[in-house]
Amino acid sequence: MLNSKSKDNLGASAASNTVISSKLSHLSHLKCSGCGKEYAHHELHTFCSFCQSPLLSIYDLKSIRQNVDRDEISRRPKGMWRWNELLPVLDAKNQVFLGEGDTPLLPLPRLKKGLGLSNLYVKDESSNPTGSFKARGLAAAVSKAKELGVEKVIIPTAGNAGGAMAAYAARAGLRAHIFMPKDTPFANIEESRMAGAEVVLVDGLISDAAGMAGEKARAEGWFDVSTFKEPYRVEGKKVMGYELAESFNWELPDVIIYPTGGGTGLVGMWKAFAELEELGWLENTKRPRMVSVQADGCAPVVKAFQAKASFCDFWTNAQTIASGLRVPKSFADHLILQDIYESNGTAIAVSDKSILESQKQLAVLEGIFAAPEGAATLAALKELLQQGWLHPDERIVLFNTGSGLKYLDHPN
Amino acid sequence: MTHNILYIEDNPDNMMLVQRALEARGYHLLKAMKGLDGVATAETEEVDLILLDINLPDIDGYEVAQRLRSSNKHQLASIPIIAITANALKGDAEKALNAGCDVYMSKPINIRELWARVEAFVPMP
Repeated sequence: MLNSKSKDNLGASAASNTVISSKLSHLSHLKCSGCGKEYAHHELHTFCSFCQSPLLSIYDLKSIRQNVDRDEISRRPKGMWRWNELLPVLDAKNQVFLGEGDTPLLPLPRLKKGLGLSNLYVKDESSNPTGSFKARGLAAAVSKAKELGVEKVIIPTAGNAGGAMAAYAARAGLRAHIFMPKDTPFANIEESRMAGAEVVLVDGLISDAAGMAGEKARAEGWFDVSTFKEPYRVEGKKVMGYELAESFNWELPDVIIYPTGGGTGLVGMWKAFAELEELGWLENTKRPRMVSVQADGCAPVVKAFQAKASFCDFWTNAQTIASGLRVPKSFADHLILQDIYESNGTAIAVSDKSILESQKQLAVLEGIFAAPEGAATLAALKELLQQGWLHPDERIVLFNTGSGLKYLDHPN
Repeated sequence: MTHNILYIEDNPDNMMLVQRALEARGYHLLKAMKGLDGVATAETEEVDLILLDINLPDIDGYEVAQRLRSSNKHQLASIPIIAITANALKGDAEKALNAGCDVYMSKPINIRELWARVEAFVPMP
């Protein structure tokens, strides 16, 4: 295991003689990803009121560069919030912490050998609270909502985001309302109800749940934490990118293969790499190629990528066993596509059959019981190798976004 | 030459947002707050593209699309129709496309996407 906290992993200090910052967050303002309009961060915002694109958090990176020691962050207690200068919460008492972050980056020796690769890893997000990467984004969003005085939060979800929001809302003392498809894995439904959330099961997909959640939010004043319809979930997710850089001695891998539903993780990591580069914390400027993986029963990003489009068409009749990939159209589709293009990456769809085969392989060969979405990245890796898109010597990172234990009611 | 775009939408906020966005690009917006009014406007005015909300106060957007496609004004059989809806019900997208719409967009309306979708059918003046 590559331990992201290991001192041996750390490169030369970026600023060993710098003063340690006493400022918790260096958040400067919010900026529209579409038109560039700026918004104050001490007010509650959703998305751009002018062009209705997602808002992104902008930090005073110059100040961080001058005042924050990269290696000091590595010495802090484990967890997502050790990156507090680059996260949006201003007051530590508002950080809602359940142990999220600092997930292991595991080498995959048997798979690597079998596939003829030199450097293959998985970033295993299943050890996050509530068993998935969704914990990171909801930790950030719920914390910031709490800081801004929100008392009740609402979310449409394909599954894991609902469970995560319920847990963080409970921890923060907020009321939670969740809309999820009626065929969402039972674990997601039960963990949400157990944490006290009001759960509505929807006869439809996450897009249908989003419509209903949006209606309720507008009618009753709930704060909608839908993917990219508030600015902070992506901030929690971006920490995966910081952790990767730290684990690889402040270099970045050559290729990241990532399952894409709403796309917060992919967009977040690309944002993280840009911030790290601007901070001067990376040992070189080489960025990874980002691979977006979808299921062939719901592949709007893949279709748009193949058409060289800037936006996705709504995917009709979406179907896949990977519930997290059943997102007919992301609200941030243009950001996802922009980042894939910018990274010289690609987008690929895999079948449910290959997802199940890969899930079995990960378990049998490496002892990792991955979520179907995570297993999809291995399926994509094999396909990309066949296509010759990957070089065997490249440093490749798969993302397992959650635990397979949350999907036991799926007929495999 | 200015292109006429008809927006059939009962929500004044959405109407204002889209009007501002499209007029900024040089398009002329024709407005209808009800489905039947929208069909009538399409049949009497020169229209280059139709933006169509689904949840309307009289007939719904699916019905509007079907009436437009079967109109005696033969240009309406092929006029581009972009459905824009809050997709609160299951299968809205599928139903909109089956009713004769060319593209489905969900609210909130991303203006950059709207511009791209409109320009794909009707070049910016």
